[in-house]
Amino acid sequence: MDTLELLRGGFASALSWGHLGWAFAGVLLGTVVGVLPGIGPALTVAMLLPITFSLDPVSAFIMFGGIYYGAMYGGSTTSILLNTPGETASIATAMDGYAMARQGRGAAALTTAALGSFVAGTLATVALTFFSPPLASMALRFGPAEYFALSILAFTAVTALLGGSLARGLFSLFLGLALGLIGIDQLTGEARFSFGIPQLLDGIDVLVLVIGLFAVGETFYQAWHHGRDPVEAVALQTFTGMSRDEWRRSWRPWLRGTAIGFPLGVLPVGGSVIPTFLSYAVEKRLSPHPEEFGRGAIEGVAGPEAANNAAAAGVLVPLLTLGLPSSATAAVLLAAFQQYGLQPGPLLFSSRPDLVWTLIASLYIGNVMLLVLNLPLAPVWARVMLVPRPLLFGGILVLASLGTYSLNTSMLDLVLLYAVGAISCVMRVHDVPLVPAVLGLVLGPLAELQCRRALAISEGDPSVFVTRPWCAVLLALAAAALVVPPLVKRRLS
Amino acid sequence: MTLRLRPRVLSAAIAAVVAAAVPAAAQPMMDELRLIAPAAPGGGWDQTARAMQLALQRAGLVRLVPVENVAGAAGTIGLARFIGNESGRSGVVMVSGLIMLGGIVTQRSPVTLHEVTPLARLTGEYEVIAVPTASPYRTLRDLLDAFLARPESISWAGGSEGGGGEQMLAGMVADALGVAPSRVNYIAFSGGGESLPAILGGQVSVGINGFAEFAPQIEAGTLRPLAISSAVRLPGVNIPTLREQGVDVEFENWRALMAPPGITAADRARLDGLIAAMVRSPEWREALARYRWLDRYLAGEPFGRFVQAEETRVRDVLGKLGFGSRGNEAGTTTEPYPWLVLAGLVAATVFAVREARGRARTGAASPRRDRAPLGLLAGAVALHVALLERAGFLIAAAVLFWLAARAFDPRHPLRDGVFAVALSAAAYLVFARVLQLSLPAGVLAGWL
Repeated sequence: MDTLELLRGGFASALSWGHLGWAFAGVLLGTVVGVLPGIGPALTVAMLLPITFSLDPVSAFIMFGGIYYGAMYGGSTTSILLNTPGETASIATAMDGYAMARQGRGAAALTTAALGSFVAGTLATVALTFFSPPLASMALRFGPAEYFALSILAFTAVTALLGGSLARGLFSLFLGLALGLIGIDQLTGEARFSFGIPQLLDGIDVLVLVIGLFAVGETFYQAWHHGRDPVEAVALQTFTGMSRDEWRRSWRPWLRGTAIGFPLGVLPVGGSVIPTFLSYAVEKRLSPHPEEFGRGAIEGVAGPEAANNAAAAGVLVPLLTLGLPSSATAAVLLAAFQQYGLQPGPLLFSSRPDLVWTLIASLYIGNVMLLVLNLPLAPVWARVMLVPRPLLFGGILVLASLGTYSLNTSMLDLVLLYAVGAISCVMRVHDVPLVPAVLGLVLGPLAELQCRRALAISEGDPSVFVTRPWCAVLLALAAAALVVPPLVKRRLS
Repeated sequence: MTLRLRPRVLSAAIAAVVAAAVPAAAQPMMDELRLIAPAAPGGGWDQTARAMQLALQRAGLVRLVPVENVAGAAGTIGLARFIGNESGRSGVVMVSGLIMLGGIVTQRSPVTLHEVTPLARLTGEYEVIAVPTASPYRTLRDLLDAFLARPESISWAGGSEGGGGEQMLAGMVADALGVAPSRVNYIAFSGGGESLPAILGGQVSVGINGFAEFAPQIEAGTLRPLAISSAVRLPGVNIPTLREQGVDVEFENWRALMAPPGITAADRARLDGLIAAMVRSPEWREALARYRWLDRYLAGEPFGRFVQAEETRVRDVLGKLGFGSRGNEAGTTTEPYPWLVLAGLVAATVFAVREARGRARTGAASPRRDRAPLGLLAGAVALHVALLERAGFLIAAAVLFWLAARAFDPRHPLRDGVFAVALSAAAYLVFARVLQLSLPAGVLAGWL
């Protein structure tokens, strides 16, 4: 049977009013729980799984699809409206999304995020349907050397995010890199910079940094900056959708975001940081008005949101074709599949085609549901900007505490959260960009680990970085990203 | 008054939903059993906890089984917390196992398994040594010949951080062959899932992983198993053991349950009875089959002796691999990268401060601001952190909300108070009760 036939079989078993109801419930629950800072997709899916246990496999799988995409999408709403990304995937969205919301264009930002997620999710699911096996075997050619090169390429995205001052941008970056040093050295098991505190052995959770820098930092800064002065209310745009111009500026970033996000999701490269920031950097480079970025450029929302959802679909490629859970969320999904006697692995497609194709069909359905749910809600959510500030910031702090504490049930994390919040407030006062710190914390350990793994495998021979073709190409791209733009600028001026 | 009634009504409704979702048996043996998984979601300990959650609830043995993940440092962070917070408490158990013994040695953990109450071993898993099908190594002998010729040329990948089960096995194999275990070129990955692509893609020479994790690949013919670490061949599994190929090594990654220190004999008997009932239940049998875990149930005194024997063995192996003696308390390192980063941080700080001074001189001094809001906010946060584990989430969250709201606008204390209580109660009920996330109940524990 060919793929289309199988897919139709999947849809046949997935499409009934009852199943659509479960898909809707899954998307709703995933979005609602995923909205909360700190409760990322992995925890959302893990928490919601017991709900699916009492269902039959088809209903349960349809609900998984909904929960998975819903949880991936949920983070962008708070990111855009409150500048409080709850997970790494939506930081890039916050930069321009929040600026748009402050200008009363929150609904447009949410709409482009929802549409971008839908476009990217659907295209990526199509790619998943038809090209999984060749993509998965290509991903296997990536070894530690290539992952090192990829993280170096991602570092070049930082240059797009440094803000006005090189010194302050680098300070932020190195702060993140230094925080990333804390914890057990994965290769030797040796504790580094943990100062004898056992909770620091696993390093600083990136979510603690993200929530502290953004949600808590924003609250502190608002208290410092505006205090009790009456702040003029945000004038919501009466026109709630996307303007013609915003459509025109959104569709290319959606497609580019998909093209960047999907392959990087297939590669087990650790979450959505690299795809979302690469997409942001690419959009800023290609934009005819890069000065708008950071001040509400819609491309800066459309691209990363698409990249995020495309990556989420990409993660399913190695999971379904090779049985490789390449992210924490995928590992939780794997456990869920096993509840239904499904062993993801190379034989999955041949042993249980009925369930696999139902799952794939339910991914399409979940994507449509996501759009159905979130498009009409965008103008409603945008009204969050009208909630009185005392209640808004009180609520943000409570949810930030809840999410952070429940990450590891750790008081130290909570103390760190507020310490980071205080640091973030000082950084904002002195106009130091926050995002390079997050990139440093995420990418620094990745680059170091993969570099040392590659060198261990080659027994210390550094030529692996140039003799392996993919690695050499990626490193050349990274060098070009650093060197070419200043050269072009000089030539023009 | 209505406000005080609301949470009760809600929790009653929620309890009804939960009860409906779980087909209940006649009479549960226990009302609530908290399971501590000292690892992140998705790993072996988490899977054990979640399989238990399902089995206990479905078999109707326990009504409510929340799972708490306390991840980090091979489970030693969870262990420290377990000993510190749960001493003498009934109704809570922690998943543990061989890897935790290893973590205690490599992290030089101040707490050990001597301090907890060993309950029972539940499952065991053997490790498999495998290569991708395209590998030049057809048999274990081929691999070991190359290894003996030049140990460093063979890179071994495994799914555990430094000092985990896979590295222990690689070290034991080397030791059995007369090669110093510290010469094993072991490439650590943070989980079996992360090591698989490197193994399948031929990035490393050979991989070690739990049998369950390799099984689908072996069945599909993408991996060639060279040896299994069991004493004798497993029924229905056509993989030769290390022993029969002349390598005198036997290794099992076992998982077990521990109760807090200082529980009463009656509590212990109750937990023993509960676990014995769970192990017999068809729901647990089904979980064992699903995850390909071996039933290695062992309880009581024999289990205590087993843990002690394993501890001696693990210390010996890890000592030979060079663990437990490296590093120092302050946790500095000899790798170059961290020192480069710190040098960069110092340099960037100097530049940034100089630039800030320059800006300050050229003008634009910021206007004086009212410090009261920030002060009140800091107080709210401090009080919240102090109250969270003492008074419980609900009170701590309501205090945080109310004071933070007052920091921004002190004119509506009543409105802010109502919202503070409502939001905190709603968050608590949804997350702690419906989704079974662990939040401290504190002084309201009996009332909620």
